[in-house]
Amino acid sequence: MAKLRILGRANSFNVRKVLWVCDELGIDYTREDWGRGFRPTSDAEFMRINPIGLVPAVIDDGQVLRESNTIVRYLASKHKADHLYPTDLLQRASVEQWMDWANYETSISLRGAFLGGMLNEPPWNNPWFVEQGRRQIAKEVGQLDGHLAAAGPYVTGEAFTIADIPIGLVVNRWFCLNFEKPVYPAVAAYYERLSTRPAYMRHVRNGLP
Amino acid sequence: MLKVYGRANSINVQKVMWIIGDVDIPHTREDVGGQFGKTKEDWYVKMNPNSVVPTIDDDGFVLWESNSIVRYLAAKHDKGGLLPTELKARADAERWMDWLLTVLGPAMRDVFWGLVRTPPEKRDMKVIEDSRTKSAAALTLLDKHLNGRDYVTGSSFTVGDIPLGVYVCRWYKLPIERPALPNVEKLLARFKQRPGFKTHVDGIPLT
Repeated sequence: MAKLRILGRANSFNVRKVLWVCDELGIDYTREDWGRGFRPTSDAEFMRINPIGLVPAVIDDGQVLRESNTIVRYLASKHKADHLYPTDLLQRASVEQWMDWANYETSISLRGAFLGGMLNEPPWNNPWFVEQGRRQIAKEVGQLDGHLAAAGPYVTGEAFTIADIPIGLVVNRWFCLNFEKPVYPAVAAYYERLSTRPAYMRHVRNGLP
Repeated sequence: MLKVYGRANSINVQKVMWIIGDVDIPHTREDVGGQFGKTKEDWYVKMNPNSVVPTIDDDGFVLWESNSIVRYLAAKHDKGGLLPTELKARADAERWMDWLLTVLGPAMRDVFWGLVRTPPEKRDMKVIEDSRTKSAAALTLLDKHLNGRDYVTGSSFTVGDIPLGVYVCRWYKLPIERPALPNVEKLLARFKQRPGFKTHVDGIPLT
């Protein structure tokens, strides 16, 4: 069977989720640089593979996958990593709930707080977005802090699951943001807990926001 | 019995009510959020630390995040139908659910909030226009993808259609200029045949 093929630059927030899960599960892959700073995703070759024009795109056995959280869930299911992605309906729904939270709530805030406030990228560098994004991400990470303190040490409780993957990316980016941030002890402890995982250090806490 | 917490005009509550309506799941719903408040009260925060709607309580199992709720209800009540069980088919449906969270939802947020929930004197027209343009671009991609497909994953309706469906409905209700998107319009017409969509999505005015 052909190796998993990952299309997307290794410094992309969403590509790193896929690299992290592959590393955790020992999945062999090849990776090609596409996206900001490399070949643009608007190239015909990329658009034929993923017409949405975003990284990562993953090709497994002829099937093109996109949307990083969906890819993470797909790989965990395919490799029967039930400890990371429980098959019990209720436990599984709780994992997915946190993945969705990281995908929508925090990604909206990070547009202003990170893309605008740190990378100065239009239109997110409009002060309206920057200010709103910073306020919002601080509130959301604060909610995560309360949750981890009450129900941790991991996002869905006792064990590390794939819910910690998107959240682990958010938390790493949070600590890199360039404004005066509230101190959240449970989130800080969680960051250190994740940092005991070599795959996290390789792909996420590797000096990149 | 399943209990849904959330006001009927919330787009995320509408996703959940749509599947409840289509599959005919016995339930009760309590108005929470927006003008009804309550999301900051202790009992609610205990269920949902994010203080947003919807939250469900299914005989003691509490869950929030509307897309996850939709998948959970489909798995429980209509596995193999609305929620494909084959791994690749499931990933196909899920990627469109995630696309809503990462692309279309964030794109359409400010045009809706700006035009529907912000008084005219407080509107930032630049932000609204950026949001309209980004939404139109995302929907144009969807329109292309729908070429030769009845629904987002192909010939049958799945959970993949629900999140983008509520946003498509909203898009056509907004007082804005829109590009012609024939496939998206046909998709919307198909959704309008579904009981849950009719009652809980299309039937609720934008507020």
